[in-house]
Amino acid sequence: MCACVLPTFVTELTLAALVILTLGAAFSYKWRGVGFASAVIALILGLLAAKSDAYGVLVFAVALINLISLVALDNRIKGVDYCLVGLMGLATLTVFTVQSLSLVLAALVLVSVPTYVLVMLREGGANTEIGLKYIVFMVFATVLFFIGAVMLAAGGDPVLGYVLLILGLSLEVGVAPLHEWVPDVFAAADPIPISVIASLAKIVPFVAALRIITSFSFDERLVLFTAALAAFSMFAGNIGALTAREHARVLAYSTVANMGYVLACVACGAACGAAATPAGGVGGASGSELALALVGGLLLLFANSFGKIGFFNAIKGEGSFSPFMFILAFSFIGVPPLLGFWGKFYILLSLVGVGYLWLAAVLVLNSAISIPYYVRLARELGVGWRLRLTDVVVFIVTMFTLATVALPLVEWLVKSMGVLSLGVM
Amino acid sequence: MIELLLLFLLVPLVVTFVAPLLPPRAASYLTALAFAVPFFGVLYLLFGGVTADVTLMRFPAPVGRLYVFSDAITAVFSLSICAVSAMVALYAIPYMEHRFKEMGLDPRKEFRKYIFIYDLYAVSMLWIVHSGNLLLLYVFLEIMLITAFLLIYLYGYGNRQWVGLLYFIWCLIAGVLTLVGFLVIASESGTLALDELMHLHKISTVAWAFIFFGMVIELPGLGPHIWLPWAHAEAPTPVSALLSPLTVGLAGYVMLRISLVDPSFFVVYRTPIFAYAALTSIYAGFAVFMQKDFKRLLAYSTISQMGYILIALCVGGVFGTMGVAIQYMSHAFGKSILFMCAGGLIALYGLRDVERMGGLHDYVPELSNAAVIGFMNLAGILTVGMLGELFILRGAVEAFGLNLAYILPIVFIFILSGWYGFYTIRKVFYGRPRSELKSKSISGYLYVPLFVIGVLSVLFLFPPLSSSLVGNLYECVRYLIGGGAL
Repeated sequence: MCACVLPTFVTELTLAALVILTLGAAFSYKWRGVGFASAVIALILGLLAAKSDAYGVLVFAVALINLISLVALDNRIKGVDYCLVGLMGLATLTVFTVQSLSLVLAALVLVSVPTYVLVMLREGGANTEIGLKYIVFMVFATVLFFIGAVMLAAGGDPVLGYVLLILGLSLEVGVAPLHEWVPDVFAAADPIPISVIASLAKIVPFVAALRIITSFSFDERLVLFTAALAAFSMFAGNIGALTAREHARVLAYSTVANMGYVLACVACGAACGAAATPAGGVGGASGSELALALVGGLLLLFANSFGKIGFFNAIKGEGSFSPFMFILAFSFIGVPPLLGFWGKFYILLSLVGVGYLWLAAVLVLNSAISIPYYVRLARELGVGWRLRLTDVVVFIVTMFTLATVALPLVEWLVKSMGVLSLGVM
Repeated sequence: MIELLLLFLLVPLVVTFVAPLLPPRAASYLTALAFAVPFFGVLYLLFGGVTADVTLMRFPAPVGRLYVFSDAITAVFSLSICAVSAMVALYAIPYMEHRFKEMGLDPRKEFRKYIFIYDLYAVSMLWIVHSGNLLLLYVFLEIMLITAFLLIYLYGYGNRQWVGLLYFIWCLIAGVLTLVGFLVIASESGTLALDELMHLHKISTVAWAFIFFGMVIELPGLGPHIWLPWAHAEAPTPVSALLSPLTVGLAGYVMLRISLVDPSFFVVYRTPIFAYAALTSIYAGFAVFMQKDFKRLLAYSTISQMGYILIALCVGGVFGTMGVAIQYMSHAFGKSILFMCAGGLIALYGLRDVERMGGLHDYVPELSNAAVIGFMNLAGILTVGMLGELFILRGAVEAFGLNLAYILPIVFIFILSGWYGFYTIRKVFYGRPRSELKSKSISGYLYVPLFVIGVLSVLFLFPPLSSSLVGNLYECVRYLIGGGAL
């Protein structure tokens, strides 16, 4: 399926999906189900346009689960919220398909802006205060990211361009020390929209950063800067989570730590630089450390997505089935053969490959530091068997987390995602 | 023949998912039978001198081929794991019922959860030794860790949740450090498949260092050993009876496999590693005398015995390697018997404090006699433990010559094991009773499995088991590393 079957229809499919989403949002004011249906149709079209089967399926799954979990939140713009998530999913599905810098940046905006609305959603009103705080940070992050990307593309100062891009990325996804908004927003907003922000919204910023960074060559000091930032974020996130009591705050700091792990892939991408991509900017990274970093980063982002959706839904439903909570916790810790392990495994492999053994050791240490709070989270949120909508969502994400027990599936994921194009034109 | 190996290994894995559906007694019998299948299967392969190798799948580089295999080295480890896991499964029938009642849990309902985790734990150990790829090995290493953690966390004694976390954190650090070592190998050699690595014969010092320090935490050596007495003492006894005899020694197996690829690390750092191992063994051996808690006492004995394994590893060569394997088996048999004895005393009298024991032979001669066999294994007296000590000493003589600075500590460690063994027997089972205890009838499940293991430990000292085991082991190790003559 996907681009290999329908290469010439990618643009048409994406445009059709956008039209369906727009119409769905318009009609959902009258019929709420239309919003949900149009979001699902848009995601299916986006899946057909996706460049990697494995990547497409996983993004589709994350977005669809986000849609299902949104059913549990009765809000004033019911119907439109589905379309917003559909739009985010569509942008995430096509971020590898587009080749120009402008479209990669457009995908970033399409993922970021819907979260401005989603973060304010709650039952019977709107979280305007927390929404404003979030929007200010996100706008600032997007601007930094854009300036950095444009500076790099226009041949400006590469050091300044790179640093601005990384700072923008850090602010956008919550890498320490630019993570201050994360615990406040995660704790104050409703768990369901936060589960979207903590899952689907995290993928595109990293992919965009990695694609831009791999188009250029950078000084080793910049790689070291990124690696140091990644290490700091791991420690800050995990220590913060260890000391936090409120579940949402623990998950917020867990996000900070996880973004540190994924930033390590960006460091690896910077270390490999343009060497991994052929002239012209766009090329597969198969077989290189960069491919390993890309696969590791994506797998970790998906593991983080499924885990965060599960835990936030458990918070919303005041607990969920205890074994599922433990499985999600173990995946976060990186216990094989759960999905979270494969992310860390390929990140470590790429770090060892580029000679960043110390960062690999820091990652290992942080995996151990994270054990107590994930186990505590699982214990406190774990309850007996029952069947509400939030429990169904937890069940689904647990199955995805467990799916990598089947090793042929891991092989498929790695092969399929390892050939994704990096670099931009 | 080759597919048979996969079949042997799959039987307990399938049973893991079937056993929870059955009542406790049936589930335990099925588990014991499930482990009897690979036990006799591996024995059959061993007698036939067959080396089996089954490809599971091929992973993209640098992971390489995932496969399971069996040779004489894996056979020794596998036989130990199967025998002990099968017997402990039976032993757990009355023990866990007692524990569930003690914790106020519904025994029937809780046993389903317990047997699933227990089976997965034992299966993961079995698959570790048969894994032909370091990634596959690591996956099962971590499944072993997580299942053991859950058993301690859910059913342990004392502050079980804290102890469980302590165990989890230390062993995860150990595991992931080892993983980094494996990844360095992958990066340098382009594969994690053991057969391909055997052709390359090259493990860098950096990779070795990560693996060595990781596995020394898991083993454990002196210093990182602090987690072990807590975990092994506070775990429910059937879990202690796997943790101590089987799990920790697998760290030795991992190092053994890596040293068969390239023993340079042990060759270069032989003297400091030997000194460290001897110090571990002697320190822990003397620490046994200081313990008041019977299970803690046994835990320190485990640390001392793991010192043997480290000595055998750094001695290396054909005999050192054989010593590692047979020492693992003798310790597995001996220590599982002893932990089950300790558990029997807990189940019958609620006793753990050795100061309150004494004269128990009069009340529970079954456990007392079994404990004697257990300590005979540790001390290397008339059991397979004799072979273990023999090969370690022979290996040491080949590696160091008749240098008394090396040989005397080894001999002293052997004596120390016998010393603390008989000290414990006297303190716990003989002399005048220190508590007002009464003779109690004891369930057959609490002592028959101990004697089955005891008989096995003696049988492996005599032909045909010993001749087949030693002969094939010798040929296998000599083939893998070359040189030496029996």
